[in-house]
Amino acid sequence: MDFDAIVIGGGHAGIEACLSVSRLGFKTLLITQSLDAIGRLSCNPAVGGLSKGNIVREVDALGGEMARLIDASMIQFRILNRRKGPAVQAPRAQADKFLYSSLAKRTLEHEPGLSIFQDTVTDLLVSASGREIQGVVTERGNTITSSVVVLTTGTFMEGKIFIGEYQASSGRLGEPAAVGLGTNLRKRGFRVGRMKTGTPARVARSSIDFSKMEIQEGDEEMLPFSFSEKKINRPSVPCYITFTNSGTHGVINTNMFRSPLYGGDIVGKGPRYCPSLEDKVVRFPDRDRHQIFVEPEGLESEEMYLNGISTSLPEDVQIDFLRTIPGLENVVIMRPGYAVEYDYMDPTQLYPWLETKNISGLFVAGQTNGTSGYEEAACQGLVAGINAGLKLQKKEPLVLSRTDSYTGVLIDDLVTLGTEEPYRMFTSRAEYRLNLRHDSADIRLLPIGYRAGLQSRENMDRLNEKIKGIEEIRELLDKRRVKEKDLENLPEDYKIHVGKSFSRILKNPDASLEDLIPLEPELSRYPSRWVTHAGLDVKYEGYIKRQNQQVSRFKRMEKMKIPPDFNYDSVEGISSESREKLKAIRPLSLGQASRISGVRNSDIAVLMVLIGRKGGGRGD
Amino acid sequence: MKDLFYDTREPIAALATPWGESALAVVRTTGDGSVEKFAELFSSPGKILTAEGFTMHYGYLLDPSSGIEVDQITAAVYKAPRSYTGQDSVEIFCHGSLPGIKSILKALQKGGFREAAPGEFTLRAFLNGKMDLSQAEAVAEIIDAKSVRAHNLALNRLSGGVFKRINSIKNELTQFMSAVEVQLDYPDDEIGGDTVLPSDAVKKALESIQELINSFEIGVLYREGITVALAGGTNAGKSSLFNLFLREDRSIVSEIDGTTRDYIESWITLQGLPVRLFDTAGLRDAQHPVEKEGIKRSNEIIANSALVLYLIDGQSGMSDADKKVVEENRNNRRYLFVWNKIDTKAAETPSWAVGVSALSSEGFTVLENEIVERIMGSRHSASDVMIDSLRQKNLLERSLEALNRVKEGVDTGVSLDGVAMDLKDALDALGEITGEVTSDEILNNIFSNFCVGK
Repeated sequence: MDFDAIVIGGGHAGIEACLSVSRLGFKTLLITQSLDAIGRLSCNPAVGGLSKGNIVREVDALGGEMARLIDASMIQFRILNRRKGPAVQAPRAQADKFLYSSLAKRTLEHEPGLSIFQDTVTDLLVSASGREIQGVVTERGNTITSSVVVLTTGTFMEGKIFIGEYQASSGRLGEPAAVGLGTNLRKRGFRVGRMKTGTPARVARSSIDFSKMEIQEGDEEMLPFSFSEKKINRPSVPCYITFTNSGTHGVINTNMFRSPLYGGDIVGKGPRYCPSLEDKVVRFPDRDRHQIFVEPEGLESEEMYLNGISTSLPEDVQIDFLRTIPGLENVVIMRPGYAVEYDYMDPTQLYPWLETKNISGLFVAGQTNGTSGYEEAACQGLVAGINAGLKLQKKEPLVLSRTDSYTGVLIDDLVTLGTEEPYRMFTSRAEYRLNLRHDSADIRLLPIGYRAGLQSRENMDRLNEKIKGIEEIRELLDKRRVKEKDLENLPEDYKIHVGKSFSRILKNPDASLEDLIPLEPELSRYPSRWVTHAGLDVKYEGYIKRQNQQVSRFKRMEKMKIPPDFNYDSVEGISSESREKLKAIRPLSLGQASRISGVRNSDIAVLMVLIGRKGGGRGD
Repeated sequence: MKDLFYDTREPIAALATPWGESALAVVRTTGDGSVEKFAELFSSPGKILTAEGFTMHYGYLLDPSSGIEVDQITAAVYKAPRSYTGQDSVEIFCHGSLPGIKSILKALQKGGFREAAPGEFTLRAFLNGKMDLSQAEAVAEIIDAKSVRAHNLALNRLSGGVFKRINSIKNELTQFMSAVEVQLDYPDDEIGGDTVLPSDAVKKALESIQELINSFEIGVLYREGITVALAGGTNAGKSSLFNLFLREDRSIVSEIDGTTRDYIESWITLQGLPVRLFDTAGLRDAQHPVEKEGIKRSNEIIANSALVLYLIDGQSGMSDADKKVVEENRNNRRYLFVWNKIDTKAAETPSWAVGVSALSSEGFTVLENEIVERIMGSRHSASDVMIDSLRQKNLLERSLEALNRVKEGVDTGVSLDGVAMDLKDALDALGEITGEVTSDEILNNIFSNFCVGK
């Protein structure tokens, strides 16, 4: 074998995959089409956001790189939804995308045991039985062997971009597609489909009149995504907000016939949740305006990103409709918006550890699995990389649960339900999101990362210190009561709380921890994020308790395991539709089986009886 | 859960008819090899071994150790998959004497049949694709149904009445949930200001669920019936009234003499409602010391009845004993005072009593209505579908509880992620009823309701 592991693709999934296998001690090769494109933020220059910010922290806790990369390249930081509940608050940072990408490349280059090579993979090397991976074959005719392969092709597998009538075989504007691999995967029996996504125009900063836009500053404090209590000291630059108007929509409606989306040229399904401006105008005819965030692409860059109006209309139409927008009257386009259509693999062909069921040793992650977003890609890349490493170590795979992480939710959704459109994470996809707060990712997952071999002893010790500190703070909150004389330093409405403990008062929706902290000097001994963490735990204690009941109900079903080779054909009494679905998905537990769409409750009951009796198998 | 995981192929046997004396009884067997095993116990085994499915065979059941004839029987042979369970089965029609049944079961056990657990026949039918889960659950109710109305209720579930109702509640809540989730899925600056939540949906759902829960209690009445006791002085006409109830209704299930003749009981049906009617005869000979025990028992029956019909002889007027009872229980809705013998020159019926003639049946319809009214009383439900399984009721209560917290959360301004969690709880509980949400409790809850032999 030339290498233990080969990772195909140097995007956000590929970075995490190659770093994690390599860090687990395996000789790893990253093959990418362009060394200059490693870690590119192809779409918006930002990392994090609702649920995505949680994922970045999860990647960090498990031992991934994304959090450190954004920490070192952020140019604005905000905690979103401070006014809303704790489960739906999340960090988001604007990135200097050029800096992000070069940091990513440097990180890979400095990783011992990791080689990087520029080439394009066109086919897999597979054993004679067709069931085991052996390496890859490239466009330039190189044959490179390895025991495991992680496939992270992003939008490049048979990628095709569209700008009005213009079409080109590319994965990103100006970058050629990877041709051949998709066709070969189809030949090997994989279900491969088409998806579509899009990006807006990048425009020249100097051509924008910011005085006509609303300014959006970041938070004063820049907090790290990574496991650290240190503040970040980096420049913070603003974003701007403007809106489309009926004039904009008029231009789009008039030229709709020139859109490749409506001309039938694009067959792949686009993301419903991140529609192009054409889609928005068609689907929401009643809305007279749509919001645009104008975001810097980097500190040194002239390019500005127009978040919210991705488009694949012809370039002349793009400039026409942009110039109807306040502040963009004289705008100059530097890169046009475009749509990209690419091959993805039906993710139900994977086990929850992201290995294909058909070819042992072949792992797939990121957009190739039908997801959208850097964070979604990164967490899959990491899980695929860890599992590739565990396979090389001949250890049991790591399967994350819906109850411990958004990453677990994402992967379970993909491998159980598949996806028809680019899958984007939302907090609502996580049933147990109260337990998946961004500030608890380290507590939830760092020990798992440590056991997998990607986290240091030092970080574990720091985590235990943090857990202990939070417990102490909670005790303080339980003990400390509001006294008569505290009222001088409290808002009027705290009068009714005299004599009650802080914990009790916090459970009141109107009470806030910020009001109470100054009263108790002991609390200032702890890092403020610990205090906030403990405060939220206390405030939502009742909800968290009930959530935990839901979790234990859920876990009872997950604990009933089904062997991957369970013979569904021998089971009498289940509907044939369910049988086919169960055979295709091969769920690993009754819980997972019950989430497959179209599998009936009564079929689960049958399985429950059989599994419970024999631990699987029919035993006639 | 554990007790359900027995072998689902081995031969089992159980009495399928009620445990009691009757002209005929049916013992059911099923499982792999059950026909062959039964043949060994039958007087002409060859007939059974060569029998086609759906055939009847007359002969003797033999004790395998002694070879002695246990009973004269008829055996119905069913061949897999064309049987109730989908497996080979033999049904034995035998004499309905308890000692006889016992020796048949004993013989079968010696012959290799295991005693069946409750619901095991149905579980097998279900496992072999003979019925789906909702049918299985309903089968339990149909078997238990004590009146035509109850039977209809059980069938209603088969036709999906409850399913439809709960789905419509769920749909409304899901819409509410979507409104909440939109707020949660997008940051403030992307969706603008707060939108008003359609909290009416929660209020409506709360009402609908409460009605369904109420309907369960009514369902229980129809399925399990209710105990009504006749009480009063010796000459008040209790026996005549008792007989009148029996004459009025042809669907008498049984009439059993009290073992010490201190009371008589009978199942009757009042407007579709199964009623177990007791004539507490003990009171009539209260002065006899030998029947002290009888009086005690009668008093127990009166104390445990849902409704006491206290008869007063309107012709002779109230006795001192009557006066005392009336005094104590006039405002007690559990006591319905019946002013009997209004066909005679009785004193006028007092406002707190219902006038009736047990002889001419005058006023009987009014009495009947009053009884039903008293029993149904506050158990009112506008719901036209009824739930009739305890599992469903428990899940509805869980949903109701969660929804109350949703309402409280919205009212007091709890953050929406908390509200959403309770909402999920409410929806999950409803989903468990309709089968979209699966929990590990389904099997236990469903099959444990069955009797042995079903």
